[in-house]
Amino acid sequence: MTPPDPSRPDPLELDIRLILQRGEEPFGAIMAAVDALAKGQALRLLAPFRPAPLFGVMANHGFGCEDRQRADGVWEVLFTPAPGFGPEAGMAPGSTPGAGLWPDPARELDLTGLMPPEPMVRILEEITALAPGEVLFALLDREPMFLFPELAQRGHEWAGNFAPSGDVYRLLIRAGVGDD
Amino acid sequence: MPGKSLSRWTMAWFGSALLFLLGACAMALFGLAGPGEWSRGAGMAVVHLFVLGWLCQVMLGALIQFVPVLAARPLAFPGLALPALAFSSAGIMALAAGFLTLDGHEALRPLFLLGPFSIGAAFMLVAVTVGATVLHRACLRLAEVRLVVLAMVALSGLWLSGAVMALTLAGTRIAVDLTEALPLHMLLGLGGWLSLAAFGVSYKLFAMFLLAPEQGGMVRRAVFLTAVLVVALALWALCLLLAGRSGGRAVSVAIGLVPALTMIYLGEITRLWRSRRRPVPEANMLWSRMGLLFLALAALLIVPGWQFGGVWAEAAVFVALVGWLSLLTLAQMVKIVSFLTWVQIFAPRIGRQPVPVVQKLSDARAVASGLAFWSVGTVVGCLALLLGSSGGFLFAVLLLTLGALGVMRELIAIRHLSHLEPAERPACLPHLVLPFTFSRARAEARS
Repeated sequence: MTPPDPSRPDPLELDIRLILQRGEEPFGAIMAAVDALAKGQALRLLAPFRPAPLFGVMANHGFGCEDRQRADGVWEVLFTPAPGFGPEAGMAPGSTPGAGLWPDPARELDLTGLMPPEPMVRILEEITALAPGEVLFALLDREPMFLFPELAQRGHEWAGNFAPSGDVYRLLIRAGVGDD
Repeated sequence: MPGKSLSRWTMAWFGSALLFLLGACAMALFGLAGPGEWSRGAGMAVVHLFVLGWLCQVMLGALIQFVPVLAARPLAFPGLALPALAFSSAGIMALAAGFLTLDGHEALRPLFLLGPFSIGAAFMLVAVTVGATVLHRACLRLAEVRLVVLAMVALSGLWLSGAVMALTLAGTRIAVDLTEALPLHMLLGLGGWLSLAAFGVSYKLFAMFLLAPEQGGMVRRAVFLTAVLVVALALWALCLLLAGRSGGRAVSVAIGLVPALTMIYLGEITRLWRSRRRPVPEANMLWSRMGLLFLALAALLIVPGWQFGGVWAEAAVFVALVGWLSLLTLAQMVKIVSFLTWVQIFAPRIGRQPVPVVQKLSDARAVASGLAFWSVGTVVGCLALLLGSSGGFLFAVLLLTLGALGVMRELIAIRHLSHLEPAERPACLPHLVLPFTFSRARAEARS
């Protein structure tokens, strides 16, 4: 076990068992907790099952994870911020680092001139049809703020920014394994 | 709610605002507001229920929802939204009750003192969450974000001027010249906070719903700089007022700039409208265009309103509050609620099963008839105020109430997914107002 680092604050604890018991989706609460973390603070998550799909999402946010099942059956996962992680220069906040190394897009979509939420519908339909690891490239009129949480929840990675002219948004999405 | 781009409390802010709207309409129907009645306690209570309860709350709720979209980053401190709503609702009710002190209800005096501070706490909490989200160099380059920040600065002046006026009316040792304070208070609220926030949000929403290229450039900069001048003059006048001096000249210049500011903004929106790629705009945009016409009318009425006061000033303020800000809000609210409901329920299903289009969530004809009642009510109300006709004003309020009820009925239908076929409706319906899971038994009974 690693000795406690006195310069790091105590981990923030989030118990999602009650949220799940109420039949609600815990993803929003988890992301709110991630937003609320102080610099360098870890997140300790308590769940009734091993939240494996979350590991990839949290890795994209720059967190490493350690998980264990306690004697009472509860899964305890500690997400610790990786040192030196930050958004790459010129990419929108939330973009996956290293998108430049992804394979060439298997699918390209021009979604400019479409009324919201049509671009979101097209992207999610197309990305669902791609094999894990394949990449989709889309051009949009604006940053698709409502699409990003949906991509993260389905285990897809994304990276995007505005073109230098500022009138078109470029989005790369790499299909994850979690979506069916 | 799935995803952090949806604020948990948006529907609660909207629901609370709509209840205040109905409350204000009901009080006006009982004759508590009307031509020449505005300086009475009950009249002021109605005005503040309408402006603070309805328009301010809806704008604060909309900002909490849309600032992340404007700034393209997640909302900071989302947990402040609920306490802000609680402080604001309690404060507005306390202030409205406090105004009745002026009609002789002495027992309500403590509420008069409490209201402004509770409202101030709410404004502060929203300012923290909005400010912490947008105060980044990259965000402040965006014209719409800068206008919203300027609107929040005007909001602080609105609160301060309102608080000292309430303390003066409540008979405390703090006293300001109310005849000087009133036009300044209205300028900061109507021209500063509400209209500038509406300008900022409209840039983004109009471009999105009209499929128009997002513009920037000289005209948008001119709108911003003129708005900065108006707000700076108003705040300077407020400082003079608090120092016991007259700020009348600064207010005159600021009010003189408002028609110019409005015309530059309308010119830019006209250009945006003409550059749209969507040939036939949807109902929300057509009725927003009507709201923009009322804005132009209000800007024209300001000139005689400031020169002669009286019925001209009443009509100018009425058209700005009811025709411009409320019609724009009601028209866009239908679209926003449809969109958020659709994202909440159907976004997780895309690619896995067929999803209905957003337009199917609302009934365009029902929305149009509600907004038509509201628009006719505005015209009748404006004429009634100009003619000093109490009966005409009462008729206008009746039309406005019917319009508001029509839109509210439609909003409830949207949240209940009532316009969808049973097969398209999920087993678990979204919450109506509060973010708790809707009763499964009732949902299943419907499907």
